[in-house]
Amino acid sequence: MAELWRSYGLPTTITVAEIVAIIVPLLLAVAYLTYAERKVLAAAQLRKGPNVVGPFGLFQPLADGLKLLMKETVIPSGANRVVFIAAPIITFMLSLVAWAVIPFDAGVVLANINVGILYLFAISSLGVYGIIMAGWSSNSRYAFLGGLRSAAQMVSYEVSIGFVIVSVLLIVGSLNLSDIVEAQKTVWFALPLFPMFIVFFISGLAETNRSPFDLPEGESELVAGFFVEYSSMTFALFYLGEYANMILMSAMTSILFLGGWLAPFNIQPFTGVLAHLWAAAWFFAKMAFVLFCFLWMRATMPRFRYDQLMRLGWKVFLPLSLFWLAATAAFLVFTGKLGA
Amino acid sequence: MTAAPDFLPVLPEMFLGASGMVLLIVGAYAGARAIRAVTWLAVLALAATAAILLYPAWTAGVTRQVSLFGMFVTDGLGVFTQTLVIIGSLLSLLIAMRFNEREGIARFEFPVLVLIATAGMMMMIAANDLIALYLGLELQSLALYVLAAFARDDVRSTEAGLKYFVLGAVASGMLLFGASMVYGFAGTTSFDGLAKLFAGGGAAGVGLITGIVFISVGLAFKVSAVPFHMWTPDVYEGAPTPVTAFFSIAPKIAALTLFLRVMLQPFGGLFGDWQQIIWAISVASMAWGAFAAIAQRNIKRLMAYSSIGHVGYALIGLAAGTAAGVRGVLVYIAIYLFMNVGTFAGILCMRRNGKMVEGIDDLAGLSRTHPALALALAIFMFSLAGIPPLAGFFGKLYVFMAAIDAGLPVLAVIGVLTSVVGAYYYLRIVKLMYFDEAQGAFDRPFGGEVAAVLLVCAVAILFFIAWPGPLLNGADAVAATLFPG
Amino acid sequence: MIVQALAFYAFAAVAIASGVMVISARNPVHSVLFLILAFFSAAGLFVLLGAEFLAMILVIVYVGAVAVLFLFVVMMLDINFVELRQGFLQYLPVGALVGLILLAELILMFGAWVVAPGAPQAAVAPTPSTLSNTAALGTLLYTHYVYAFQTAGAVLLVAMIGAIVLTHRTRPDSRRQRIARQVARRREDTLEIVKVRPGEGA
Repeated sequence: MAELWRSYGLPTTITVAEIVAIIVPLLLAVAYLTYAERKVLAAAQLRKGPNVVGPFGLFQPLADGLKLLMKETVIPSGANRVVFIAAPIITFMLSLVAWAVIPFDAGVVLANINVGILYLFAISSLGVYGIIMAGWSSNSRYAFLGGLRSAAQMVSYEVSIGFVIVSVLLIVGSLNLSDIVEAQKTVWFALPLFPMFIVFFISGLAETNRSPFDLPEGESELVAGFFVEYSSMTFALFYLGEYANMILMSAMTSILFLGGWLAPFNIQPFTGVLAHLWAAAWFFAKMAFVLFCFLWMRATMPRFRYDQLMRLGWKVFLPLSLFWLAATAAFLVFTGKLGA
Repeated sequence: MTAAPDFLPVLPEMFLGASGMVLLIVGAYAGARAIRAVTWLAVLALAATAAILLYPAWTAGVTRQVSLFGMFVTDGLGVFTQTLVIIGSLLSLLIAMRFNEREGIARFEFPVLVLIATAGMMMMIAANDLIALYLGLELQSLALYVLAAFARDDVRSTEAGLKYFVLGAVASGMLLFGASMVYGFAGTTSFDGLAKLFAGGGAAGVGLITGIVFISVGLAFKVSAVPFHMWTPDVYEGAPTPVTAFFSIAPKIAALTLFLRVMLQPFGGLFGDWQQIIWAISVASMAWGAFAAIAQRNIKRLMAYSSIGHVGYALIGLAAGTAAGVRGVLVYIAIYLFMNVGTFAGILCMRRNGKMVEGIDDLAGLSRTHPALALALAIFMFSLAGIPPLAGFFGKLYVFMAAIDAGLPVLAVIGVLTSVVGAYYYLRIVKLMYFDEAQGAFDRPFGGEVAAVLLVCAVAILFFIAWPGPLLNGADAVAATLFPG
Repeated sequence: MIVQALAFYAFAAVAIASGVMVISARNPVHSVLFLILAFFSAAGLFVLLGAEFLAMILVIVYVGAVAVLFLFVVMMLDINFVELRQGFLQYLPVGALVGLILLAELILMFGAWVVAPGAPQAAVAPTPSTLSNTAALGTLLYTHYVYAFQTAGAVLLVAMIGAIVLTHRTRPDSRRQRIARQVARRREDTLEIVKVRPGEGA
């Protein structure tokens, strides 16, 4: 029995503990990202934002969550029940499982797999299923249109994201996320790959269906897009999933372009546990910065028209990222710096 | 690091593929105004490819050379048939130009697809590995499916495209299934490796034989040999006529060459096992091609059955499995190329009151309305029937001789008998043209390119007997390299 | 090892079960969703085999892109389920017969499996032991199989050209945005300031 516990029980328990240690702060972060969004938007529009529930309105997300929890779950009579229920679960699950490979510091990662970046890419490319399933199963025109839009949009922007990732991989020579961060010790990739950084950031907005690419929701034309028929916790799962995806995208941006947990100029004033905290703090700071940019975009940009969206994805980003990829590869070959 | 492979032997294919892509971009940017320019550039590209292909052969001679890690082979057989394929594509492009414009289906993608299909055919001819074979085959087939449906607003054309696609996909599946079996039992996909394995002649288990059967089925479909010919009449009838012309020439030559190569090189040691398959396919094709054609009223369907029959004759040479047999096949397909292009150029002239007509009866009295066209068509018909002293006769003569030498007199006798049956419907067309009442003239002008192609082909067929040397010697040399010692 | 065995059986069972569901589900959208599940389980099996690169590529390409478009099409098409079922029952005997024949052939063949003499020696491209499988795959793909790789690319190009040739239509009545024209528009061309005297406005 003890043998069994040592070889299976203990590792499982540790892993579960680690998962909890990642997910609980993540969910808290999601909750407060919604708060941050409302505050940032309010500041941009010279309003106050939530300020009633708790000090500075800090308990607002909890109140919102409680409200959604108490509501009745309505399933439309014409809906395809199984798919309808499965869609938000899938969306939410996917936004969580991706965190398994995100490194918070050297060695501080749940699963340090060799193909980490591909795993992230794969998971984020699955995100479209939750949306398209929700859109189809709702048996509603608005929802279906939203689902179709998002499917086309996410597939389109995934292509350029793929090329951006490949050009980073060319420089690093590894698919491991920790290796990618370590490779940025001399210079963060945001500088040498600046155009790709921009492409990635904007495609990230499109991939997470954020403004100015929030056509799948398009509240002024599609009411609320793919989740128009959802209520209560099913809606909450979409909501949580969307914000968790935003945080994930900001984590990817930090890892690929902003040096992950590395402090600028490798400043390292601490040792021991504090050093880990210092590294993680830099990682979180970078994520917070990227997230702020996400919100900033929403505050400033009007929504794209659908044809403009497609034009940008296929006629601007795709050729640009392809060209830059070829240029990167050529540069690496001619300077003999191709990764092993 | 592994050194970069030597790409020089693949230069013709690479050039052709690259020019296809360049023309694609030219067409995409220049749009409808550039269709004619793109077509002429494609013709030019084909000519240039032929030059690139033939220049080293001319200066240094052709020695067998395997490159790209055993995937690709350059040898006499390849150069000979690749040249034929290029000529076929070039002539098809020429006769297609006006037709597409008149029918309102002229688009710049047409020459581009022809170029890419030709590149695919050259690749499959030069394949030295089952993987390379399959990829080349798919490249050409995919382009051909699209070409079959090129008149996309025409129900028959789209039907032809769809039919060809579905059946072609099944055939590709068969071929892949067979290839995987061969790989499973032999442990290699390389032709050289397979040839080494079977050099002794033994060691062929039932699994390997099954694999070879499936590969032959796939290839038989591509050359439209009976019993895998069902798609041919419908596709030939439905596809736009220049596309049909292209179908009946270039892919057929390429697939026949592939048939030769696959059977004689990797599976050469198993000759005894596959000879009977080829024998049966050949007899069935000759018989069905001859008898089923009799009832046809549509000239394109007739040509479909005619091509089935001709594949049967060509396969006699393969069934013989000797150098003489291979020489027979090569001579046959070279002559077939000119007969078929010429006939289809003639069919393209069948246009009355601005509409294409395809009935055989529409040719009645052609000798009075268009004597030159009638004469040319009569030459092609006599040649297709195999009447001496026209070229078609010699094609048949060589394969029959090879069959007799190889101890297959039955095959030769059946060939002669079916030729007689076939002669009936070829000569009926001649009779219609010369002895029946005219139904009214065809629209003029036919177009300079079509007339030129007609003339060239007719002259080639008519005077082959006067100057057969280059073709015969070339085929001889090629066949000899396949059977060293 | 128990965990791996369990994972294998779980993935394999799910893959087979969803494969059956693909052909037996009443709703085509459900079929596609089961197909996706089958892909996913196959990716899991790849991971168990140590081929993590293939697993990820399977998910990215098939699940992330191909199946999405497939789902897209199936959802948009108005498929008559009843008609589909009728055909299914009608062709079931023939299909079963073909399946049985193929099965019999396979059994016959595997019974006759003899490795040809010299086959192991003829096998090319031995598996490298020092490289990670991503690097090994890349090394092989871009050297030994560069010809096949490039040709496959050409095949895809043809497929793309074909799809465009057969379906793309330029609609004369569709209104396009012409940015250049919008930018080139000047105030003088569009706007005229007219002095309107009181009492004369129309």
